[in-house]
Amino acid sequence: MKYPARFLTGLCVISVSLAASAAPKEMTADVVHWWTSGSEAKSISVIAKAFEARGGGWKDSAVVGGSAARASAVNRIMGGDAPAAIQWNLGVDLLNLADQGMLASMDTVARDGKWSAVLPKLITDKLSSEGHIIAAPITVHADNWMFYNTKVFQQLGLTPPKTWEGFLADAPKIKAAGITPIALGGQPWQERVFFNSVLVGVAGKDAYRKLFVEKNAEYAKSEPVVKALKTFKDLKAFVDEGSPGRNWNDATNMVITGKAAVQFMGDWAKGEFVAAGMTAGKEYGCAMAPGNQDAYILVVDTFAFPKNGGDKPTKAQVELANTIMDPQVQLALAKVKGSIPARTDVDLSSMDQCAQLGRTVLSKPENQLPNFAMALSGDMMGAVHDALTKFWNDKSIDATAASNLIANAIRQSR
Amino acid sequence: MLSFRAKLPALVTITLTTVAAIGIMLVAISWTGVISFTKTQLIPRYEFVGFTQYVRLFDTERFHVAFSNLFIYGGCFISITLAFGFLLAIMIDQRIRAESLFRTIFLYPLSMSFIVTGLAWQWFMNPTLGLQKFVRDLGFADFSFDWLINPDKAIYAIVIAAVWQSSGLVMAILLAGLRGIDRDIWKATAIDGIPAWRTYLSIVLPMLRPMVMTCVVLLAMAVVKAYDLVVALTRGGPGNASDLPAKFVIDLTFERANIGMASAAAVMLLMTTIAVVAPYVAYSFHKLRR
Repeated sequence: MKYPARFLTGLCVISVSLAASAAPKEMTADVVHWWTSGSEAKSISVIAKAFEARGGGWKDSAVVGGSAARASAVNRIMGGDAPAAIQWNLGVDLLNLADQGMLASMDTVARDGKWSAVLPKLITDKLSSEGHIIAAPITVHADNWMFYNTKVFQQLGLTPPKTWEGFLADAPKIKAAGITPIALGGQPWQERVFFNSVLVGVAGKDAYRKLFVEKNAEYAKSEPVVKALKTFKDLKAFVDEGSPGRNWNDATNMVITGKAAVQFMGDWAKGEFVAAGMTAGKEYGCAMAPGNQDAYILVVDTFAFPKNGGDKPTKAQVELANTIMDPQVQLALAKVKGSIPARTDVDLSSMDQCAQLGRTVLSKPENQLPNFAMALSGDMMGAVHDALTKFWNDKSIDATAASNLIANAIRQSR
Repeated sequence: MLSFRAKLPALVTITLTTVAAIGIMLVAISWTGVISFTKTQLIPRYEFVGFTQYVRLFDTERFHVAFSNLFIYGGCFISITLAFGFLLAIMIDQRIRAESLFRTIFLYPLSMSFIVTGLAWQWFMNPTLGLQKFVRDLGFADFSFDWLINPDKAIYAIVIAAVWQSSGLVMAILLAGLRGIDRDIWKATAIDGIPAWRTYLSIVLPMLRPMVMTCVVLLAMAVVKAYDLVVALTRGGPGNASDLPAKFVIDLTFERANIGMASAAAVMLLMTTIAVVAPYVAYSFHKLRR
């Protein structure tokens, strides 16, 4: 589950449910997706309109909630009524679908469109299963952002933190001023997003790779990871007591209203600041989390194309893939969704400074880290979430005990 | 006596429904059992791995938390709801004025789903929004009510909301029972000088036994399938401290795509239920045959 709150608040009218336009049947694409919240619905209509301009017919099959949408897509494939395209986050679960032989190979489209030349390396790597390209990536988010209220920092004469040590030194001053230093939604996936920023900032990118890319369970007990866990728990003193169970956008709202100073969250939070009429660099600031200045924990939104009879994609699927990879479409979509385009050759000068910062960090291959959805199976992600949320919420567990919990979680679900 | 021809439609209907109900249930249960011994993740895969899923299950701390919570929640919820519902019923049975008004008020929570109940209580018990903030704003700065965010108390917060929701049901059932009790019993006990509380406990309550059993069965079913209330109130948090088996199974099935282990947990839930129900069923049969 990536943005659960959005799913719940979703259910908005999807303006794109354009009942069968005039396009011929073989050019009609039935698309399953879960982009139903305000900015997400706008994003999907960007694709739909562009696809229709290219002569396609868009049949919208929105399902509220990521897991529900994915379940519906899998059921339809198994039931012989495969949709033309399904929205999916790039990662282990998508590769599983490909391994089961459910997805059409997009090799020809990718070769003709020279995808590998324009996509970040990590994405290209993760896009292929047994040598075949399995999906078209449209947009990129990062987990490890930090959004802060500039007024709060100005008033207190503080600068936004560059390191976790620096933040631990400043946080008591923020708290003393009656402001919650960290706005955190106490749900396991948000605690994990926060922890990963701490892990990368304290123990470094290699620690993240060893733990969650190589799945080295024993490494969880190493000294750098234990130190990161300790820092993580030290930060708990700066979270308000209303945190447990809070939605991420309610936490963002605390920063918007100045009740809290910082939120450590993916850049989908930017949409909330924009909706509140704030400008990046003025009322709110964005930066990579402390110590994460050269790390970009990617979340990639893609569309995959289930086999519609035969291994080769249908005409509609090819055209839809080309639409999705169209630089102009990617730019327009990134602007409404708060992300950056998956293509690295799209000119971002018309976007805000957060997007440009993200592009700069992402451009170096060594900075690219896969997020949990990309690196871990749903099973392992859940097990690690359990361990982290237990540690975060239970006073009696110290960093060493937590490192054992995490090692156990990785070992069990490997 | 009706002729066989006349009885035929009824027989057919009853046989079909019974076979369908039991058949589907048994098939579903056995399939879950079979799956729990396989490596199944997202899609059924009949590669048998013996008790591996169970071994992992018992090595998973969250599973232990969920199952001990089942007993804490079940025990507290059933006993408090019964006691509270019985008290409400007795109070209303005193031929009070505006009886139907109170009856409606007490029964009202039942008309709300557990999701709505959970959301309402979530706001009420949230320390920065609800009761705690309200009392502190009144000037009692030390007042603290943090059950919802306290890992040791969160499960009891769920009990509170569930009791609030279900007491009305118990009240309605027991009130119906109280109204059916012969008024002469009260005259007789009054003549013998037996205090009212004693009459209720030792005479009326045993007479209400069937009604009480109905309540227990209804409440127990609510306990085993408790899912929505937890999701709305705490999402199983903080730190999975208020997790319950049904939520554990559903999380594993849908969010984690680990249907093998989810099935193992579901089988354990079934075993637990059987272990609790079996002695009672055996006892009833024993009594019936005597």
